[in-house]
Amino acid sequence: MKTFRVFRDKIIVFLSIMGPGIVTAFADNDAGGIATYAAAGAKYGLALLFTMLLSTVCLAIAQEMSARTGAVTGKGLSDLIRERYGVKWTLFAMSILIIANIGTTASEFSGIATSFEIFGVSRYISVPLVAFAVWILVLKGSYNKIEKIFLMLCLTFASYAISGIIVGPSWKEVLIASVKPTFIWDAEFLLMAIGVIGTTVTPWGQFYVQAAVVDKGINASDYQYTRWDVLVGAFFTWLVAFFIIVATNATLYTNGIGIETAGDAAIALEPVAGKYASLLFAFGLLGASMLAAFILPLSTAYAVCEALGFEHAVSDSYREAPVFFGLYTMLVVVGAGIVLLPGISLYRIMLTSQVINGVLLPPILIFMMLIANDINLMGEYANSKLYNIVALIFTMVLIALTVLLLVSAFVPDIFNILLK
Amino acid sequence: MQKHIAEIYFSQLRGKDICDNKGRTVGKVKDIVTLWTGGLPMITGILYSEEPDKLIPADIVQNWDGKQVILAESSEKINITQITHQQLFVGKWLLDNQVIDLKGYKIVRVNDILLSCDEQDGKQRLSIIAADIGIRGLLRRIGLEFLASRLDKKYISWQHITPLEKKTGSLKLKLDKDRFKKLHPVEIADLLEDMDYDSRNVFFKALGSEQAAEAIGKLKENTQVEIVTRMDKKQAAELLEDLHADEAANLLREMPKEKAAELLQLVKKDKAKELKWLLHYKSDTAGSLMTTEFISLPVTFTAGQAIEHLRRFAQDAEMIYYLYVTDVDEKLLGVFSLRELILADQEITLGALLHSKVITVQVNDSRKKVAEIIHKYGLLAVPVIDAEGFLHGVVTVDDVLDLFMVDRTLKASMSRYLNKRGLRRK
Repeated sequence: MKTFRVFRDKIIVFLSIMGPGIVTAFADNDAGGIATYAAAGAKYGLALLFTMLLSTVCLAIAQEMSARTGAVTGKGLSDLIRERYGVKWTLFAMSILIIANIGTTASEFSGIATSFEIFGVSRYISVPLVAFAVWILVLKGSYNKIEKIFLMLCLTFASYAISGIIVGPSWKEVLIASVKPTFIWDAEFLLMAIGVIGTTVTPWGQFYVQAAVVDKGINASDYQYTRWDVLVGAFFTWLVAFFIIVATNATLYTNGIGIETAGDAAIALEPVAGKYASLLFAFGLLGASMLAAFILPLSTAYAVCEALGFEHAVSDSYREAPVFFGLYTMLVVVGAGIVLLPGISLYRIMLTSQVINGVLLPPILIFMMLIANDINLMGEYANSKLYNIVALIFTMVLIALTVLLLVSAFVPDIFNILLK
Repeated sequence: MQKHIAEIYFSQLRGKDICDNKGRTVGKVKDIVTLWTGGLPMITGILYSEEPDKLIPADIVQNWDGKQVILAESSEKINITQITHQQLFVGKWLLDNQVIDLKGYKIVRVNDILLSCDEQDGKQRLSIIAADIGIRGLLRRIGLEFLASRLDKKYISWQHITPLEKKTGSLKLKLDKDRFKKLHPVEIADLLEDMDYDSRNVFFKALGSEQAAEAIGKLKENTQVEIVTRMDKKQAAELLEDLHADEAANLLREMPKEKAAELLQLVKKDKAKELKWLLHYKSDTAGSLMTTEFISLPVTFTAGQAIEHLRRFAQDAEMIYYLYVTDVDEKLLGVFSLRELILADQEITLGALLHSKVITVQVNDSRKKVAEIIHKYGLLAVPVIDAEGFLHGVVTVDDVLDLFMVDRTLKASMSRYLNKRGLRRK
């Protein structure tokens, strides 16, 4: 009986610390994530599974670094950038965060619009309504109560796993593709690869996980649990992406069906749900998009205000917090507004925003590495050498891919030239 | 004779060339150091090269406010000094960092630092006069202050600032205890809310245990738990002793059991006994809300004896305006008010003074029910009894007050997602 109690208390400690890593990992599989993984599987089959594995490793490294920094310093990433590198660099980092997150917010609203269009509701009705609802619910503080509904909706994405298993691909082939480096030398593939990385490892995720660790009051001595939390979270991100790619590969790629709209990704669910596949997909997409649409603008505004010293403005009334309030509103309005631009493809918004995230990620990674290497701040918890090498290689690869992508925009033949 | 020359911002000073009296460049202003010991913080040295601890002493500066910083000596004669433990880097430890604003009771971030340049005995001396916490300071740093030239400048005078940081390295700042003495517990709670947990621990050490206890009592339970679990054990035990019994018990109830048991062992015996007793009550019931620090008087007392009793015990009681009368078995017989006691004839017995119809709640009544009763009858406190009528404790109105307040603050709405979540006050 006593051993049971000790065990139970240990579990309680563990659960009280668990969370930030897993939550962030789940939030990574938002509308943009689903769209990107589905497109990757539909267009290139299993070819991007290896990229996915790589970006999962990167996710684990980056999240671990952020979480560790948060636990040791007790401060958010934006605070540390401000205190270490001053106003100019802070503005730079915050601009990156804002741009990336406007993109991501737009992608969440695209997800919302897509799911409503599956139900037959025009985006010109659904998006303004949902945007207003998000805005008002957050300010009224009643969001927490409905959050669980969206989390439940997200579970419908487990149906990708079932679908992936039902279609019964050649598992040997899948496993080989997961670990065998594959790269196709064209701009489209490159774009997709950056998108996959950009949707897995986001600038936003790094700020969020660190803030969440600090909020929970996790300190260096509890950190061992958080490390597991982060690793488990990264594994789940990979698992969901893996099954989406496997399912879309089997249902779309092999049959030569391309994805034109995000709704097409629902076809991959047909082995599970038959004619109800689109409904299942729509519910899942709605849940994931709503979750992120609530969290993103709010946490962005908060990070920016804190870094720039407006935290005292985040007080009890909105009139006293014009910067915070303005920024938050701007993110919601612009994010939703982009989706309403005439003739814009929702699916494109989702994909593009992930690429933007991927392109904007390296500077944030560099800040994180500099801070995690600062002995004054981190003491014995500073990065090890091996760790730095791996992280640096990854950052370099990502920068190289980004540069390649930019060059290919101006010199479309770059790949032919390079291959010669 | 001291003469005011000019005011300069640290952002303008940093990066200036330093020249000796022959016009030769010695280095650049990388950072400046100050003595922050309670008086006007004078600038005592300039960090001028890449070497982290080497300083040009500030007393050989001839001129601060020109295009260059001009020294009164030639570069060969400069007596380079090392940074001492009391000195503090202005750029590294103050600028861009958070400080405590003792006037607004909040944590603010320093955007720029206003320095005053005064002339004394033919030499210019520099001292910190204020921290710029406004948008103008922020824009000045990126050279765009003109954009906000119509905004007011926002300064906090150095007298009202206390650096928050404890920082690693050679520099360990001591928080100025006397400056916190004057703060109200609610104001301290405000500050605690703004702090990250590291700073919070440092802050607690600076406050006395009693003052800390009062402030902690004003915070939300989960914040209390967080703070106490991260405290030094001995310190935590002291804090539990200083908290009101009901608050301490609630705190222990929310903690992991092992931790709570461990702390209880360090608490003084009689207090620990009381706490253990309180811990028997279920959470969010009248039993868990009540305090055992109230005044109960035997029915046999006279009014005079009751006043005598009050003089001795009122100090530690949470509620003295309602006085409860019990029989020898501690069964509740009635109640009267402090006013009635004072006005009563000294010789009258309490049996004659009391009102036997007492509004009570049961030990297992819910928090909501307790709140409703307190509200309905307009009480300051309500006694808690069991089915047999034994008096267990008293719930005071402040313990249920939050049920009457609709919490619609911005902080509340952000609670789950943002920094400092769960740090809202009761």
